[in-house]
Amino acid sequence: MRKRGLRFYARMYRKILVQDLKSKMSYRADFVISTFGMIMTNLSGFVTFMILFQNFPTINGWDYHHMLFLYGFSLVALTPVQCFFDNNWNLRFMVQSGDFIKYCFRPVNVFFYFISEVFDVKGLGQLAFGIGTIVYAWIKIGIPVTPLIILKLIVFLLTASLFMIALMNFAAATCFWIKGSGYVMVIMFRFKDFAKYPSSIFEGIFKIIFTFIIPIAFIAYYPSLVILTPDNVPLLSWISPLYGFVFVFLSYKFWMLGVRKYDFTGS
Amino acid sequence: MNPKRLLSITRAGIMESLQFRLGIFVTLFANLIYLVLVYYLWKAIYDSSGTDVVNGMTFSDTMIYLILATALFNFLEMFVVWDMSRKIQSGSLVLDLLKPMRFRKYTFWSYTGNHVVQFVLTFIPTFIVVMIVTHGAIPLGLNLVWFLIATVFALIINYNIEMLVAPICLFTESTWGINIVKETIVLLLSGASIPLAFFPEKARIVVQYLPFRAVYDIPLSILLDKSGSDNWQGLLQLFGLQLVWLVVLTAAGNLFWNCAVKKVTVNGG
Repeated sequence: MRKRGLRFYARMYRKILVQDLKSKMSYRADFVISTFGMIMTNLSGFVTFMILFQNFPTINGWDYHHMLFLYGFSLVALTPVQCFFDNNWNLRFMVQSGDFIKYCFRPVNVFFYFISEVFDVKGLGQLAFGIGTIVYAWIKIGIPVTPLIILKLIVFLLTASLFMIALMNFAAATCFWIKGSGYVMVIMFRFKDFAKYPSSIFEGIFKIIFTFIIPIAFIAYYPSLVILTPDNVPLLSWISPLYGFVFVFLSYKFWMLGVRKYDFTGS
Repeated sequence: MNPKRLLSITRAGIMESLQFRLGIFVTLFANLIYLVLVYYLWKAIYDSSGTDVVNGMTFSDTMIYLILATALFNFLEMFVVWDMSRKIQSGSLVLDLLKPMRFRKYTFWSYTGNHVVQFVLTFIPTFIVVMIVTHGAIPLGLNLVWFLIATVFALIINYNIEMLVAPICLFTESTWGINIVKETIVLLLSGASIPLAFFPEKARIVVQYLPFRAVYDIPLSILLDKSGSDNWQGLLQLFGLQLVWLVVLTAAGNLFWNCAVKKVTVNGG
């Protein structure tokens, strides 16, 4: 098979995206309810957060506004996985029913083709929520606004988003080996709720696990420190972009390994 | 309907969920990691609060409550909404409707099998781990019996909430949206994500009378001898609340399903 360039894939993504949006538009009620649901989950997250802070004014030395910044940061960092990689949730049904085979017959990258099929519009609501929270916390903490800091923010937000993408790829790909592994994805997705707390709460062996193996600490904590404590940025924050790419690459390899392993369950 | 037939449906449900054994182990493991996260978060929270008791809950109270709430959540979790929407899409809903048994009843009993498996495989191990780790902080006595009864009530209430929500898919063709709204509301207002004791006073008064509390908070309170469940009067109050909601929701669910099923349009199948 001839290697295709980036331009080819970009053009194709656009075409598939348009088709997907068209088909979504035909279910208008679904779109409205899903958007409402997304707002509800974010609101409930805020309510939990508020209740927590009403009872406990600081968590591990972090005050309300710093925590709010971390929260907003995690929301924005989780948007790409929500918007672009949502089809991972359908993987196990496709594999179990045997429909997945259709992706293997096209002369394009299987991972690309599968993932590009769904673009999740409602993730944009979360993005708006996250940006609003970051801006509010930003003003309250009084971080100066310079082009350099904005650039850093964008770079490290993108970095942070890599980790959740990788985690969800890993979780979804388990279904190639383990039948009935749907719960792995559910629980991985719930791990993200802990990204909004400072990872200094972990101790001992679990600090290592949640930093390097299930990198919850990288979804918001380490990347956000670049903005929050500019004088005292740990080394892990600086190497997080590199680690993020490595992690995504590994998850991609794992996913593709699963595809190669895949054989019909029949239906 | 004779109970033997109902039990055979349950047995089929049990066998179906035991089919994926590796999946169960992975589930247990993932759950354990999740509990570790919960532990560290609340430990940090209590460490920085300066006091040992917040709103009448000590650290170990909160931990036990949240761990068992998670276990109860896994045990009670049903995918009625998802299953129904998939059945509508594939058309196999028609086959279930044609069965010589009421659809609601059939669904309930086939899920029961899954509940039994989950109870034995996730709830009981979690309970034992909690007992060992906390050196027996959970009182063992009659409360266990009351807890089991309350859990059965919770199960039926939960099923009815699901069955009230699932038919909405028939009208809106929206699954993810409906499901996430339901799950968010239930998790927040039932005390599964943050114990109800931490809610602000006014909110707590309202939440106390909603049906969601009957799913997680009441069984757990009874198990831990909290919320006045250590005397007869308090216990009766909690059970009374559960019973009222059980009757109301069952009636409402029945009515709504009977209306909805007339509207079913199934494409192909």
